Amino acid sequence: MTMRMTRRNLLAGGAALLSYSMLASSALSQEGRLRVLWWGSQARADRTNKVNQLFQSENQGVSINGEFLGWSDYWPRLATQVAGRNAPDVIQMDYRYIVEYARRGALAPLDDYLGSTLNVEDFDKVQIEGGSVDGKLYGISLGANSAAMMVNAVAFEEAGVDLPTPNTTWDDMARIGAEITKAGKRKGFYGIADGSGVEPLFENWLRQRGKALFTADGKIAYDANDAAEWFAMWTAMREAEACVPPDIQALDQYTVETSPLSLGKAAASYAHSNQFVAYQGVNKDKLALNNFPLIGKDAKGGHYRKPSMFFSVSAQTQDPELGAKYVNFFVKDPKAAEILGVERGVPESAAVREQLAPTLDELGRAMLDYVSGLGALAGALPPPPPSGAGEAEFALRTVAEQVGFGQLDAKQGGETLVNEVSQILSRG
Amino acid sequence: MAAVQDSTVAVGAGANARPTAQGRLASIWTKHGAGYMFLLPWLVGFFGLTLGPAVASFYLSFTNFDLIRSSEWVGTANYVRIATADPKFAAAIKVTFLYVVLSVPFKLAFALLVAILLNRGIKGLTVYRAIFYLPSLLGGSVAIAVLWRQLFAGDGLINSLLAQFGIEGPSWISHPDYSLWTLVVLSVWQFGSPMIIFLAGLRQIPTDMYEAASLDGASKFRQFYKITLPLLTPVIFFNAVVQTIEAFKAFTPAFIISGGTGGPINSTLFYTLYLYQEAFGNFRMGYASALAWILVLIIGLFTAFSFLTSRYWVHYDD
Amino acid sequence: MTDATMSTGTAPPPATIGRRGPLASLLVHTALIAASIAMLYPLLWMVSASVRPEDEIFSSTSLWPSAVDISSYIRGWFGLDVSFGRFFWNSLVIAVLTVIGNVIACSLAAYAFARLRFAGRNFWFAIMLGTLMIPYHVTLIPQYVLFLDLGWVNTILPLVVPKFLASDAFFIFLMVQFFRGIPRELDEAAMMDGCGPWRIYWKIMLPLSLPVLATAAIFSFIWTWDDFFGPLIYLNDMNTYTIQLGLRTFVDSSSTSDWGGLFAMSTLSLVPVFFFFLFFQRLLIEGIATTGMKR
Repeated sequence: MTMRMTRRNLLAGGAALLSYSMLASSALSQEGRLRVLWWGSQARADRTNKVNQLFQSENQGVSINGEFLGWSDYWPRLATQVAGRNAPDVIQMDYRYIVEYARRGALAPLDDYLGSTLNVEDFDKVQIEGGSVDGKLYGISLGANSAAMMVNAVAFEEAGVDLPTPNTTWDDMARIGAEITKAGKRKGFYGIADGSGVEPLFENWLRQRGKALFTADGKIAYDANDAAEWFAMWTAMREAEACVPPDIQALDQYTVETSPLSLGKAAASYAHSNQFVAYQGVNKDKLALNNFPLIGKDAKGGHYRKPSMFFSVSAQTQDPELGAKYVNFFVKDPKAAEILGVERGVPESAAVREQLAPTLDELGRAMLDYVSGLGALAGALPPPPPSGAGEAEFALRTVAEQVGFGQLDAKQGGETLVNEVSQILSRG
Repeated sequence: MAAVQDSTVAVGAGANARPTAQGRLASIWTKHGAGYMFLLPWLVGFFGLTLGPAVASFYLSFTNFDLIRSSEWVGTANYVRIATADPKFAAAIKVTFLYVVLSVPFKLAFALLVAILLNRGIKGLTVYRAIFYLPSLLGGSVAIAVLWRQLFAGDGLINSLLAQFGIEGPSWISHPDYSLWTLVVLSVWQFGSPMIIFLAGLRQIPTDMYEAASLDGASKFRQFYKITLPLLTPVIFFNAVVQTIEAFKAFTPAFIISGGTGGPINSTLFYTLYLYQEAFGNFRMGYASALAWILVLIIGLFTAFSFLTSRYWVHYDD
Repeated sequence: MTDATMSTGTAPPPATIGRRGPLASLLVHTALIAASIAMLYPLLWMVSASVRPEDEIFSSTSLWPSAVDISSYIRGWFGLDVSFGRFFWNSLVIAVLTVIGNVIACSLAAYAFARLRFAGRNFWFAIMLGTLMIPYHVTLIPQYVLFLDLGWVNTILPLVVPKFLASDAFFIFLMVQFFRGIPRELDEAAMMDGCGPWRIYWKIMLPLSLPVLATAAIFSFIWTWDDFFGPLIYLNDMNTYTIQLGLRTFVDSSSTSDWGGLFAMSTLSLVPVFFFFLFFQRLLIEGIATTGMKR
């Protein structure tokens, strides 16, 4: 059989058909109808749907169509809908993706509604800036969180080690980790998870050294020596068995149930404070929240409070004002706040926080206390991540694994990482 | 198709061509028209639904389309970058070729062996067949990720078994030296589809051929070698070609088991997974389209080669 | 073309055609049972996980749950905004339509490729195979735009209509291989009797290729049942969700997942496909036990 699939034939036949594929079709949204899309669990959906009904009952003639998906299904569906000019009117956004979507013109700027439809005066100013890209506001934060260490308090107690405190240093952590492993109270159990490929942890460490992941103009903001030192620190911990071995760490897909903590492999792991409830849900032992370790006794912490997620309004919506009104209701209305609780993180509005504080359960309380109690450990919000930040995170993870499995030593790891990240960022 | 047959049939050279003009038209119609009538649904589908998007993606491979903004023509830049400056492409090609070479022969051999075993009318045939097909019913369900971790993680079942013999195994699924093997095992575990196709092929072999052979005193082995294998070649060929194409395009297993990362250290970075990361993770649909067409080219070469060599070993009854 | 009929010239003396000895049969069964256990272990684990208490799911590899707790089934079935019965029904509608579409449209095309002579046949065949090679991720967006323009998004049409237009090249190729295995003398005899291509297709091809039609039906059903990417993109309203989308809502990697519910509903989702398979595999077996000349 001959394969005669000439491009010319295909193109000739397809040229006519090409035109329709490239045409943008009209958006499907109608008057008074809002499509809202978010990611999350059924528990989150239950709360969100209740708020949607509340909004409908208070706004005659508006109907809200809520859709939700798990995190991994969410992004391909959103990308397809946006590309097809069929985007939802209100879109839940992640800190990383908001830049990608905003810079491509997929989101509506909300600055014009500030002070009229959007009454977010009692938000922490920094958090409003967190939803800004290139000087325009594209997302309203649904809750603040900060990176945090999830600690299995029971395992620490078993091993006879004191729980970490706000002043615990990396040297302490290495020692404690090795002690827990040595105590051998549980089978195949280690002190802490291997965080060498965990970007928030690396970033926190860099910030304590006065560096950062990226500069404001989207370049790399650390050098090969920083990275090499970081990897060397973890190599030492791996050798001392303070942290889990590389093949156990590689099971971690940065989801709640695959972290070494949830898998029963380590007494501490790294996540975001708003995931505390989820972590406690899959862990039988009681957990505690702690800030990341310090690089030295009198170091300043590298934390910052960041929006856990945003609501953005689509640039394709027929009625951006209605979208803004809905978002405002979502973050400010007392009844809505009561329904939502702290499930998406600690509310940004001071009034809502005051209203909720007395009603919280133990887990919610711990989360709120952690985020608002960071104090001097928390600094300024870094500039929004550049395009390619997602790939850079991936590169860190891969290089960390290469060092972990012994394919590279710490010095080579540092050089490789800086090379790869620089290349990724230059490609944009 | 059999290369023996010439597809371009000279008009009027039909066996039943009549001298009158009307008759000639009628004969052209019966000769070619019927074929196109039967092909009509497919043609409508192809021109209406498949060709447009395919051409569009080919066009996009020469642009910097980022899913949202309108695309700009960049010429062959995407292809040049793939060929010269993309280490991940090389990694993905390596992983994919390994996967094809490892999973396809195992899967086919296993499927054929079991199909032949099950075709011999043993007791409990239906039950066995159903059991062997069950894993394939799961497809690429979310549950598989968890099941595979239960088997191949550090304290999974496999290591529990090895521990009985005093062997301490690594965490297979998350170790770069072995992770791809766990995906190969998954592929072989779901050998139900080629098995069913082999079974259907075995069913199509007329029993009177075996009867005749038995009367002639041919041994079971000889019957297999002389009747079963030659008559099964079209089905073996089909399974080999299709399984190879599927293995080149495999996506779901790696996507589910590595959580979309292709890790650890890109050891399970299937080609299509990389393509997906570029398209939906990094918003480079233009680049992903170029990757896709390079894959089409690779698969196309393989398939063409298979068809060209098939005439030497595949036996058709026409 | 090689000839497959046995050369009867050098026939060895007739062997006794007897049943296999009990030992051989025992060996075969032992091997099959061992293989069955290996095949089924992960599935059994899943079934047992579906009745375990939630906090025990990941902590044990043994197959026996410490306690049987069917709350996962109840929570899974009713826990979402739409009950799982709805998802089952939606999946069933799509799968059955897909089976019908694939069997009809693909067998028509396959008959043309396998048996009819027409200009451009090889060209179209090559194109058809070519469509099998394109990774769907890159045609997804243009196709989405196309279906959006047609107003088909959020209906089952994008998932079903292409099947009636033989979009699944896999099945066309499969049927071609089988149709070509049917002896040509049958067609020729029918032509002598004055049958046209339609009658030959209807009276000879289809009845004689029941095994492959059953295979196509089984695969169509199961693959459609298991497909999630298509439904994920085209079905936005939860009322239109299929089983797979329903299952995936149990899992959110950024917050809490309901694993018990996932395993319970995954187990249930296997039931219809399994029965479909059992029913259709009878057709597989019934295939032609003779040359079919007796028709």
